[in-house]
Order: sequence, then C-alpha cells, then structure tokens
Amino acid sequence: MRTRLALRSLVRHRARTALAVLGVAVAAAMLLDMVMLSGGLRESFAQLLMSRGFQFRLAPRGTLPFDTEATIAGGTAIAARLAAHPDIEAVSPVLGASLHLVGDSGSVTSFGLGVHPMLQGDYTVESGQDITGPEHMVANEDFIRLTGVSVGDTILLAAGYNPLLRATSGERQLVVRGEARFLYLSDAQPAVALALRTLQEMTGAATDDRVSLLMVQTRASADIDTLDSWIERVAPTVNAISTREALANVDARLSYFRQIAFILGAVSLVVGFLLVTTLVTVSVNERAGEIAVMRAIGISRLHIVQQIVIEGVVISVAGATLGLALGLATARYLNAILSNFPGLPAAIDFFLFQPASVWRALGLLVAAGIIAGIFPAWRAGSLPIARTLREEAVA
Amino acid sequence: MLIAALLALQLAADPPQPSPPRTITIDQRLAEDAGLRVGDRVEVVADPGARWEIVSIGAITRRQADPSEIARDEPRVRLHLDHLQTLLGYGDRVDRFAVATSEDSATAAVRRINEAAFGFQAHRSIDIAVETSETFLVVTRFHRAIGVITIVASAIFLLCILLIKVEERRRDVAALRLMGISRSTVLRMVVAEAAVIALVGSGLGVLIGYGVSAAVNAYYQAVYRTPLRFSIVTPDIVLFAAVLSLVLGVAAGALAAQRLVRTQPLTLLGR
Repeated sequence: MRTRLALRSLVRHRARTALAVLGVAVAAAMLLDMVMLSGGLRESFAQLLMSRGFQFRLAPRGTLPFDTEATIAGGTAIAARLAAHPDIEAVSPVLGASLHLVGDSGSVTSFGLGVHPMLQGDYTVESGQDITGPEHMVANEDFIRLTGVSVGDTILLAAGYNPLLRATSGERQLVVRGEARFLYLSDAQPAVALALRTLQEMTGAATDDRVSLLMVQTRASADIDTLDSWIERVAPTVNAISTREALANVDARLSYFRQIAFILGAVSLVVGFLLVTTLVTVSVNERAGEIAVMRAIGISRLHIVQQIVIEGVVISVAGATLGLALGLATARYLNAILSNFPGLPAAIDFFLFQPASVWRALGLLVAAGIIAGIFPAWRAGSLPIARTLREEAVA
Repeated sequence: MLIAALLALQLAADPPQPSPPRTITIDQRLAEDAGLRVGDRVEVVADPGARWEIVSIGAITRRQADPSEIARDEPRVRLHLDHLQTLLGYGDRVDRFAVATSEDSATAAVRRINEAAFGFQAHRSIDIAVETSETFLVVTRFHRAIGVITIVASAIFLLCILLIKVEERRRDVAALRLMGISRSTVLRMVVAEAAVIALVGSGLGVLIGYGVSAAVNAYYQAVYRTPLRFSIVTPDIVLFAAVLSLVLGVAAGALAAQRLVRTQPLTLLGR
C-alpha cells in the first residue's frame, strides 16, 4: 500500500520525477567513475608489478627504474651475490637502450631490452619462439607493424644512429624469433628484447657489465623489509625498490587523480542528496492537504513517513541503477583518454571495476537518498492536522 | 639530460680540497629539504660508485611555474658547462644550444641554421613544447570530459530545481489568470522570474567558484611547492556559466509556465 501510494505520487509528476532520476543517475555515474578512479590505478599497477612475481626492482642509486640513463656496473656479480640469499628465488638483470632499424625510407627507433630469457619478467611470447641464442630477438606488434619484418627474418639493428650523417654504430644481425607482449611499456611503443650480453656489446656496456635494472624474485616466506636493508647493504650502488615502495611512489606521483576522484565523488554524493531532498520536500509541501486528510481519516504517522521515505528510495535506486550503466560507459571513455598518458604501461587501467567498492559507493548513494527523504517525511508526519486542513481549504 | 645525470648530492664530511671548490646553484626545494644554504659545501657525483667532488653552493634559485616539473619531484642543480662536462667525462659535447631570436624571425632562423647545420638540427621552441606537452594534453582532455559530465549533471539539477520552483507558483498563476491577466503576461512574468533566479544563482556560483579556485591553488601550490596556478577562473568561464544557467533557467521557466498557463485556473487551484 505504502509503496503503491509512493509510486503513484511519483508518477503524478512524470517530468519532475524523470529529471530527478536522471540527475541522480548522472551523480551516481560520476560517483561510480570516481570510486573506480580512486583505487583503480593503484590496484591495476599492483597487479602489473606482481604479475611475474618480482618483489624488488633494483635501480642505480638515486634513480627510479629507467627514469634516467644511469646504469649499474658489475650487474652479473651483483645478481650472483643476491641470488645466493636463501630468501631470493631469482635475479633478472636487464639493460635498456634505444635501438635503430635503418632502412631506405628512414629509421625506426625502438626500445631495446637486454635480458636473460630464462629469468626475465618483462615480456611474454605471443607467437613464435623465445630468445635462445645471442643472435636472437623478439619484437612486439608495434615494431613488427612499423618495420614490416616477419618472424624468421634477419635484421640489422644498431645501438647508435645519426640521422643527418646516416651513420650507425653498435650494429648486429639478429633473427626475429617471435612476437612478444611487453608488460611495462606504454601503448604504441615499438620494442624488442635480445640477450643481455648482445645488447651490452652493442651499446658498449659490456666492458663494465652494466645493467639498467635488476629484478628480484623472493620466496613467499621472505621478510621484505629485512631483505630490503640487506640488499642495499650488499649492493650500495643500487636503490632497492619494493613493490610497496613502487606503489607509494605511484601514489605520490599520481595523487592528483585520487584527490580529484575524492572531491568529485563527494560532490556527486551531495548533488544526489540535494536532488532527492528538494524533490521530496516540494512534493510533501504540495501534498500537505492530502497528507492532513490521510492523517485525519486515521492513517498512522509511521505510514506517512514510510511512504515519503519510499519515494526518496525509489528515486535513488532508479537513479543508481541507471547510473551504473552510465558510469561504466563513461569510465570506459575516460579510461581511453587517460590510457594515452605518456610513459605509463599500456596494461594499466585508471578506471578499474572492483565490485566491492562499486557496490559500497552505490549503497552510499541509496543511503543518502533514504536520509534525504527522512527530513521531509518527518515534517509530513508532524503536520498539525486541523490547521493544515483549514489552511488548505482556505487556499 | 646533463643536469639529471647528477645522481647524488650529499653533505660533505671531509676537509675541504686544497683548491677553492667550484660553485653550483641548487633550487629552493632542495635547499629546504636538505637544509642547505649559500656557502655550504656538498659532494657531487656523476654516477653511483664514481669519484665524488666537493663543490660550494653559490646561489639558491627560485623554481619557475613549469608544469613539466609537477609530476617529477626532482631537485634541480646547475653547474658551469665545463664543470659538468668534466664531471661526466663528456669532453666538449653539449646536449643542445639555445638560440635567442626575435619572435618574428624564429622560423627563418631555424631554416638558416638547418641549411648550414651538419650533425645537428634546429627546432623552434614552440614545436618542442607541443611535442613534449602530451601529458598536459591528456590531462586537458580528461578535464574537458569531466567538465562535460559536470555540466550535464548541473544542467539537469538546475532544470529540475527551476521546474519545481515554477510549479510552486501554480496558485499565484491561477489567481493572476482569474484576475484577468493575459496568458502571455503571466508567461513572461514566470520566465523573467526564472531568469532572475538563474542569474542570481550563477552570480553566487561564480563567487563560490573564485573561492574554490583560490583554495585549489593554495592547496596544490603547497603540495607541489610551485608557483604554478592550477585553477584559473577566466572571464570566458564566467560568461559560459552565466549564459548556460540563463538559457537553462529560461527554458525551464518557459516549459513549466507553458504548462501552467494552458491549464484552467480552477484546475490549478485544485477545484
């Protein structure tokens, strides 16, 4: 009965109810997007960092991985020393450099990674075969598309290239063994991977056995903090960055998005609350006489309160449901915009659908709708029956 | 980047070198974080594990309002060119030359340099800025999309409120109609009232906008320690907000008033 009366009351003012539901839907969509944005980036980055089980990244002291061109001397020796620790399962040294494929119509510059294929955690082979020898390489889809090479081709890659003189240095003939997907690279970045020693020889880093990064895989039982201190003690030229520290760094660098998500999410919640409060309050004011009549014929105060609250709940639930679909669509659109952020891995999503937090946010909006209905409902239930009837009759 | 290659900077603990140390400049942020002052001596090293050198801080520089520094919490250290070249073992190599020209002759100067150049290429600063500003373009596109969603939400909210506001006047409209006031006069009156409400509301909104913008600037300038202004309320934005709310106010007022004046006055009174 209460629900039917509440629904009829809403249907009586179709345009107004439709606008209110639409308003709540847009607010819900915005709230949903902001909830997805606030935790999505961090969660997505954590998933990416842990996807291959490497708990530590060791960069040259004072730098972040691949943030500068600084390198670590004696990479193999450091890796061997670290691998001897009982809590460390594997150490993967990586060297990064720009590599050029020079053709008649120009050159294609790609990001080159020198790795130990058996230990690496930077790419997965999608088709063909992995690197097994010093003259082998794998390339990503962008490299293959830009250069027109195919799996099985032999190409000449150079570590240095002067476009004006068309002079190359550090050249090497390499066989494309397979197509790979690089986990940490940004979208549309051509990339290749080859044996660490080969890239060191091409770039001149072989003399000091230089590497850009060491990735450390730990055992499940390892104490990360203790290991962190130990690594920095035995390898004083490196910065040991644990996944936790990397996440904290990402948090700090991209805190702007979290803050904007919080502010806009809060504004959305307030807008939804205000819309429901306004609509229900006006609706109650308009129906003061009707409510007084209901009270006069014996309808209980609780019944009136429940009916008004139900109106608020119906608007909120309908708006939240519509907002869920709208929010998912806009999140996709906004994610497509932010995925072009330079330097961020293509695998990272800014907007991540995490059911628990999404339901919590929408639940919060519905709760706001219920609270928004309580004040006008209480006012409606407390109307002085005789005076209201007299005033409405005179009016 | 030569400057970025300076990887470590530590307070000197050893006695000074026999010859007077070279001077460097550091930025205000680094000076505050490391508690350094002009005249202090520090160690600089080009590569972890390499030999360090003691230098003296000759000046502390103020940071510019450079958006590219926001995401990178990097201290800035400047050295004399020959000093940095020696420190890095760079010989007489440089990363780039900055060439000052008059604004009108930049394109011609770039062309002339490139015609004569051998082993390097000249670019206009504006072209480099466009190429390196992808981050800001992405953020701008994101802001624009969020802005559109916010405008849609605000428009619906405004429409809803004004619709309700006009409908609240149903009894007044009925009384006016019963007194013999014409439909068009009532319509104009209701629309004018809605327009006034919308304009007063947008005026109040602009004031709140200025306040929020000042708070946003104060907060982010403190967080990122930069003089950069993050939020600017321009006359265009004020005009857009005022026009949008006026259009929506008039539209909502006209819609609701149309319905009211078409309804019989007694029906409006509930008889």
